[in-house]
Amino acid sequence: MIEPSYPAKEANGIWVFLEQDDGELAPVSRELAGKARELATQSGAKLTGLLMGGELASVQSAAALLDIDEVLTISHPRLQQFTAEPYAHAAAAAILARKPDILLLGATPYGRDLAGRLAVMVKTGLTADCTDLELEAGTGLLLGEVSGFGGGVLATIRCANHRPQMATVRPGVFPESTTTRSSPADVAAFAVEIPDSVCTVKVVHREKRQGKDISKAERLVVAGRGAGSDLPLIESLARLLDAEIGATRVAVDEGWATREQQIGQTGIITRPKLALVCGASGATQFTVGIDKADMVIALNQDPEAPIFEQADLCIVDDLVPVVRALVAELEAHNGGAR
Amino acid sequence: MNNGPHILVCLKVVPKSEEVGVDRETKTLDRANARQEINPPDMNALEAALALKDKHGGRVSLLSMGPPFVAAYLRVGLAMGADDAYLLSDRAFGGADTLATSLALAEGIKKVGGVELVVCGEESSDGATAQVPPGIGVWLGIPQAMYAMDLEYQPENRHIRVTREIRDGEEVLDLPLPAVVSLKVSTNEPRFMEPDRWTTQRTDGTVTVWAASDFDINPEHLGLPGSPTSVAGLKEAQGAAGGRRREMVTGTPGEEAHILYQRISEFLAGERSGAKER
Amino acid sequence: MTSVAPRPILLDDANWDRVLEATGNKAAACFQCGTCTAVCPWGLVAGPSIGVRSVIRQAQLGIPGWTNEVWRCTTCGACEAACPHAVPIGEVMLGLRSIAWDERKPPAGLPGMLWDVYWDGNPWGRPPSERSRWAAGLDIPRFDPAKHEIMLYIGCTASYDRRAQKIARSVVGLLRTAGVTFGTLGDDEPCCGDPVRSVGNDAYLQEIVKANAGLFLESGVSRVVTVSPHCYDTFARCYPDLDGKFQPQHYTQYVAELVAEGRLAFEGLSDESVTFHDPCYLARHHDATEAPRSVIGAIDGLELREMSRSRSETLCCGGGGGRMWMEAAAGERFADSRVREAAATGASVLATTCPHCVACLEDGISVTKTQNLKLMELSELATLARPYKPGVEA
Repeated sequence: MIEPSYPAKEANGIWVFLEQDDGELAPVSRELAGKARELATQSGAKLTGLLMGGELASVQSAAALLDIDEVLTISHPRLQQFTAEPYAHAAAAAILARKPDILLLGATPYGRDLAGRLAVMVKTGLTADCTDLELEAGTGLLLGEVSGFGGGVLATIRCANHRPQMATVRPGVFPESTTTRSSPADVAAFAVEIPDSVCTVKVVHREKRQGKDISKAERLVVAGRGAGSDLPLIESLARLLDAEIGATRVAVDEGWATREQQIGQTGIITRPKLALVCGASGATQFTVGIDKADMVIALNQDPEAPIFEQADLCIVDDLVPVVRALVAELEAHNGGAR
Repeated sequence: MNNGPHILVCLKVVPKSEEVGVDRETKTLDRANARQEINPPDMNALEAALALKDKHGGRVSLLSMGPPFVAAYLRVGLAMGADDAYLLSDRAFGGADTLATSLALAEGIKKVGGVELVVCGEESSDGATAQVPPGIGVWLGIPQAMYAMDLEYQPENRHIRVTREIRDGEEVLDLPLPAVVSLKVSTNEPRFMEPDRWTTQRTDGTVTVWAASDFDINPEHLGLPGSPTSVAGLKEAQGAAGGRRREMVTGTPGEEAHILYQRISEFLAGERSGAKER
Repeated sequence: MTSVAPRPILLDDANWDRVLEATGNKAAACFQCGTCTAVCPWGLVAGPSIGVRSVIRQAQLGIPGWTNEVWRCTTCGACEAACPHAVPIGEVMLGLRSIAWDERKPPAGLPGMLWDVYWDGNPWGRPPSERSRWAAGLDIPRFDPAKHEIMLYIGCTASYDRRAQKIARSVVGLLRTAGVTFGTLGDDEPCCGDPVRSVGNDAYLQEIVKANAGLFLESGVSRVVTVSPHCYDTFARCYPDLDGKFQPQHYTQYVAELVAEGRLAFEGLSDESVTFHDPCYLARHHDATEAPRSVIGAIDGLELREMSRSRSETLCCGGGGGRMWMEAAAGERFADSRVREAAATGASVLATTCPHCVACLEDGISVTKTQNLKLMELSELATLARPYKPGVEA
């Protein structure tokens, strides 16, 4: 095997990468903190939040109130904006110095960039896009549950000898931790040099989208191919149900919805209470984004559409007259089922 | 106009996702009936590379790692317009996780020589880790830009400008070559094979095959031995935990809508009062 | 219109040669009368029409710049039927399309469709192993020349499209009622090549034809009966006839023969009246207008009310020329016009006999919300008329 950077028996502590942007902790950081606390309690490990960036004073205070034992900060002007190479360089230095046992990151674009580079720099195993994490009985090894083959197969991955055991976790999989510490956790600073040679990539420009984040929506109306025949109707339905509008890839490709609304394997994983899926056939690549919903209602004219396997209530019919009648009923009962 | 970079596209041949299952008894992957395909994001990567060649000239090489049958798929890539193709084929490469895979591919890229831009698909449909492109970046000591939606080559300083997706938005990065980028799936439509390359490339194109012995790598660092991660268990994914009710609602559209209205109201009332548990 | 000084058009020899080669110089006979432009169905719907005359002029002179118009052509042949010099306009259009592939500029979605034909053997991207699912429970045997009078060729659309699969089943029902012995190629049935031809990729089409002709020869295929007029047209037009051994027919032609030979008859159907939409690929490309009508005529009690645009004047449904894989904006669909015309005859049934016509016209009925008109494929209508084999006790 390839030499581990440090032996497993010297490794200890669970680290969580606290992704932050412009002084705000990313929601996935709170989700990871919650899950990591569960794991740390189980194993008795110390839980450290790794916070990196340029000017960290305000986000550091927020981080110190998370349910973690310590915040480890790496502050450097060259980390002001995320780029993979300087972040990986700095994080690798901290890892080799402090030898954590486990490192968890959110599977956001930045998290995956950093994790992918870091795992090879420190010669360790990385389990990507986990949908669940647990500690193996007996060994205490981290077990990551991942899906492959378009979501059709679930595998459990472990990293026996190399450290840190790394895993990225999809945003929205774990609930955000709402526990706060009564007094702030200790903050330790890690100093690091960042040479010119790792800073060759420039961020020319960065643009935040104004759209909604449907991964947090409690109610969703999903537009599939069949919804194209009457989009305003779908919009009325969503408004009356106080729901966000999500879409399948087909609907996004057709231009009826934006990529931020795209649900599924290559889009967003949602966990709504209620999902009303209109005119989507229910390919696995889509349903992996909706299968955590509490209740799924599916409307489709095709009796053999796979969506019906993944729905609680199934209506085989032309969705337009059904939705029209539903909208009429919601309007009659004054602003719908609120 | 022949100022374009030497681009290398990493292609992986994978079983079609929808045709793969898990053998319930042996708990191993059942791919016996699954047809093979070029990983769809890699087709987008190849199209992006060929589009750069259309515009700037240069050269597009293909690299893959897998059993000998993969050569036929590389010839499809040659027929689409790529210039040369290489296949790393050896049992020693087998069973590799992303660390060992990215190492082998990086060595292959060095052996091809002169590569300035490595283009990959964002992830492969089977493993879906998206980790190989950054791994290649580390082994080759080159910067990366992942989840690209657009690639723009700047001949004056041999930089590449990448528009890519980030959480809540997008950013434009400027990277000096050599660099590695990965393409987001479906960002372009892969061109069909060129009529004049049908026979010359698709049936008769040359694929150079390399074995582990063609490289100076410690065999302990390749394949299964070189993989820190391993699969501890496998199962077929179900729908939601607890299964779905799959209750049919029938009638006229009006009747169906009425039932829906009632059930939705009941459900939401129950949720509000906390009667349902998550 | 402001007056613009005339500019010379500079002819480029290389382009000229390229266009002549791609079109086989078939535009040569055109003398620019413009009748083609006048009869093109694109002139009937909202949105831009096709300047057929100027496209042909550009093809004669090798002047590029025809792109979008050429892709809207459905190859319906209305222009060809009206052309006083019998210019094969549709083939010129397909030849011009082939240049777009050389320039790597085909419309979006078409490369994906060709990849589907290449990897999956059908333009719908469905697995080859599912090709005979439409026949579940029907026990259709593999074609054996020693045992079977004909080989039934289903085609990709009737194999995979849920609506069109019903057509395949009703055709099988008619053949069985008549006691015809037949088989199919099952999951090995290849794509005839029509989608590839229709988007102008001639090199790939030739490869498909060669491979399929080899397969048919090996399998002892002689009489082939197709479900779709497009497959029939492709076999008749592009495949070698093997010295008369390879005899493709559309199923309506075969069924009309069965009726004439007394192998198939109908009890009758009295509570419907029908108007018949001639598919372009039968009526204009092969002058095959009478076979479907003789089947309708053999059904007692069934009244046929013709639309004025019938037989070789049929109005295209919009599905040919690869258009099934391209978008047509609402308001620009010929089918909407056609179903209104059908409804105006007062017939209760609009019958046709092509899977693409069925899809486009059913869509048209739904979109225009036409009442009191149902669409049926001819085999479905014939099945409703209680077919039987004369001389056999029921």
